[in-house]
Amino acid sequence: MSSEPIERRVSYLGDRLRASRCQSCGKEYFEVRDYCSNCGRKSFGKMDDIDLFYDKGKLELCTFINEPTNKFMKLSSFVYGIISFHDGKIRVPGRLTDQLINDSDDVDFSGLEGREVVPRFRRRYSVGKSDLIPTISLAFTLADEYYPHQEYSVLTPNKEYDIPGVVGYGVYTSRFRIKESGLERAVPFIDEDSATAAVEAGKLALIHSGVDSRLVGKVYVGSESNPYAVKPIASKVAQVLKLGEEDGDIQGVDAVDTEFACKAASSMFKDASSLVSYPRSGIKYAMVIGADNAQAAPKGCLGGELDTFVGYGGAAFIFGKHDVIAEVEGWYSCTSDTPDFWRRDGEPFPMHGGRFTGDPAYFKHVRKATCKLMERFNLKASDLNYFVAHQPNPQFPVRIAKELGFRDEQYLSSLQIKKFGNTYSGCSPVGLAAVLDIAEPEERILVASYGSGAGSDAYLLRTTSQLVDKRKRQKVNVKFQAENPFIEYVDYTTYRRLKLGL
Amino acid sequence: MQNRPAIVAVGRTKFGEHYGKEPEKLIEEAWLAASNECNVERKDLEACYMSDCFLPITNKLGLEEGFLSELTELHVPMEVTRSFSAALLTACHAIQAGVYNKVLVGGIEKMTDRWDKIRDDLMLLEDPWSYYAGGTPEANHELMLRAYIKKYNIAGENLDKLNIALAHVSVKNHANATKNKYAQFQRKITVDQVLNARKAAHKSLGLYDFAPISDGASALILTSEAVAKKLVANPVYVLGCASATDYLNYSAREDLSRFVAAEIAMKNASQMANTASSDLQVIEVNDQSTVMELVSLEDLGFCERGTVWKNIYESCQNNKNFYEINGRQLFVNTDGGLKADGNPLGATGGAQVFEIYRQLKGEAGERQVNVGNGSPKSGCLLEFEGFGTKAYVSILGEKKD
Repeated sequence: MSSEPIERRVSYLGDRLRASRCQSCGKEYFEVRDYCSNCGRKSFGKMDDIDLFYDKGKLELCTFINEPTNKFMKLSSFVYGIISFHDGKIRVPGRLTDQLINDSDDVDFSGLEGREVVPRFRRRYSVGKSDLIPTISLAFTLADEYYPHQEYSVLTPNKEYDIPGVVGYGVYTSRFRIKESGLERAVPFIDEDSATAAVEAGKLALIHSGVDSRLVGKVYVGSESNPYAVKPIASKVAQVLKLGEEDGDIQGVDAVDTEFACKAASSMFKDASSLVSYPRSGIKYAMVIGADNAQAAPKGCLGGELDTFVGYGGAAFIFGKHDVIAEVEGWYSCTSDTPDFWRRDGEPFPMHGGRFTGDPAYFKHVRKATCKLMERFNLKASDLNYFVAHQPNPQFPVRIAKELGFRDEQYLSSLQIKKFGNTYSGCSPVGLAAVLDIAEPEERILVASYGSGAGSDAYLLRTTSQLVDKRKRQKVNVKFQAENPFIEYVDYTTYRRLKLGL
Repeated sequence: MQNRPAIVAVGRTKFGEHYGKEPEKLIEEAWLAASNECNVERKDLEACYMSDCFLPITNKLGLEEGFLSELTELHVPMEVTRSFSAALLTACHAIQAGVYNKVLVGGIEKMTDRWDKIRDDLMLLEDPWSYYAGGTPEANHELMLRAYIKKYNIAGENLDKLNIALAHVSVKNHANATKNKYAQFQRKITVDQVLNARKAAHKSLGLYDFAPISDGASALILTSEAVAKKLVANPVYVLGCASATDYLNYSAREDLSRFVAAEIAMKNASQMANTASSDLQVIEVNDQSTVMELVSLEDLGFCERGTVWKNIYESCQNNKNFYEINGRQLFVNTDGGLKADGNPLGATGGAQVFEIYRQLKGEAGERQVNVGNGSPKSGCLLEFEGFGTKAYVSILGEKKD
């Protein structure tokens, strides 16, 4: 049984790694403090709120834990130690995550001590099925490996566009992959889930855009693998990323989770764009995140066919009218009650309509949305630079692209299914991000998502010169994660264990 | 100082696993043993100070004072602290203030009743943020060892010697416990066993570097100086007692290679007792791990910082049961320490007092330490709550005035 107040207090501090600094003596504390115990009463009210969320630390001392406490049993073996920030002004305990270590491995501590580490937002430990899910950012990865440190610096906007659009984005996938018959799929580490991916993706989008998180007035999180049936991922994202004006422990932001199978996030692109354009909304930026620990029954079970394609990860897009990198020129959405894929409440894995998932489900809707949008803008396939379609498997997006008359070079760079698998709500957004990573200014991109149940959203984007300017702000782009030398491959048994989580 | 509190009797149970006994049975056994030793009746007691670290968690038992009242059929004031030394300190203050003349100090713990969850409980109580980050009760000891090694630049051959010295701490404690009928582990171990356990664990410290979890109880009767003189021929006085505190979160502390609280408590207790560390001949330290015994000897001022491992290494080459430090013989954990005697948290300090008391009175049997031509004149004990979060030092001995 969870204690709600304790959970709230621990995650409030621990998720963001909130800290305080005394204005007079400079002493720092890993907690929110009203006064400095060094300076006493006179420092009351003279403490700055700081946090370590975007910082990098140094692993000062470490040891190996292979007989963890009960709640960490599923992590089995890990490196644990003391991490210092700001030249030792703050020291916190922490564990290294994203490492599969056998308890019989000899770990060379001397090689780890002194290395730089980055805090990661993760599940804290195992709890009962009906308990609150504890989270924490006292989990770290080595800064010179899969996930390097990236600074978050706020940019002062210098240009306002007439048409709203994407001002920044971030894609997060895990370090682990499973490779089967030429297809690589991202596998979450055991302490990851859709909520941790959503936060990490949002963090990367803030870093890339340079948007002041206080100016983000709304966040949408689309997912079909929220570990809670009731309790939004978006509220966690809003609190951890400090979206909207911060007032005490409450954020001045609207946050909502959306669900429509794989188009839960892409559907909200137009809502976010509209919101930032509405003159009375007072909202400068809106964030849309699609993140999933894509579910599938194990191979050999009913519905287990999906287990060949499902991946893990998320993408976050920030929409606004300032310093836009890709304008949203228009969209077309269509919907029908086609039940090609579903998951009943309380069931762990989805079912699907097998032979009907292609036709009439996927192809009919994607075709409809794409054609209608092109018709509306009087465009031929050859007028577009890139076409991005939802990628439930490697075949569907290729088939629809060819059918609609797109050439290989227009869609191949968007195909990320072979690198990360189908990340459900994150899938077409990841494809779009991969294209934005390489596109040039004044290029036109058509992205068509698909959500079972069923519907499709097609968007027409036009890139701006700022796309190239902002590119250097993002080290951790799609290619970086797809071709990272620190990727670790796991076998099917390990994959299922990791996917099941803490 | 006027009115030194005096210990007139001590008692304890065997430490280990008491599967069939309720916690109250254990404290009853310890108290009866103490009471028989000096002929103090229950009705003579004016107050009771009892310690248990976490009976409310292990045995879902709150208001421990209630069962103690039932047991003794007393309605006198009773207070519960978390460690035996804390109970003793409080009792000493009451005696010195002249509030009481005869009190019972007891300690009890029943850890094996919750063996399956005990490491989670211990860690969460000891250092919550370390627990949330994945820490185990053993991890902080290993980190402290790393901090010590790095601070004093110990490498190569010296590092091997340090590791062997740590193993010797455990070997010595196990050897001492073979002469202690109350000890949890009454068998000798070898340096190779300690080293192999580390190897098997793939860690710097292994099974034989850590104290076990234990059940057990201990008790003593504390009186004013005047009452003590009437009761026994040569009471053992509490010459000095002090405590100090440190942060809960180990990683936030200034110096990770030592326990500041132990150093401060020792300084204050020595001042109160008007003794120097060179006067102390038998020492009980809180060896929750071999690292703790090593570091504590430096914290208590018996040895220069960063050097104690050399002394231990040299001393143990001949398998002597004492450490030779700066030309002095230092007898440490003659009962086997927490490592071999056992570590039932709330009762542990009572066993430490028990040992010093027996040594000073010349009643330690096979374990008896002889200094010059008699038993030692004074000794001290260090007890911790948590991982150095609280430190208690008590100096026991003859009254010098």
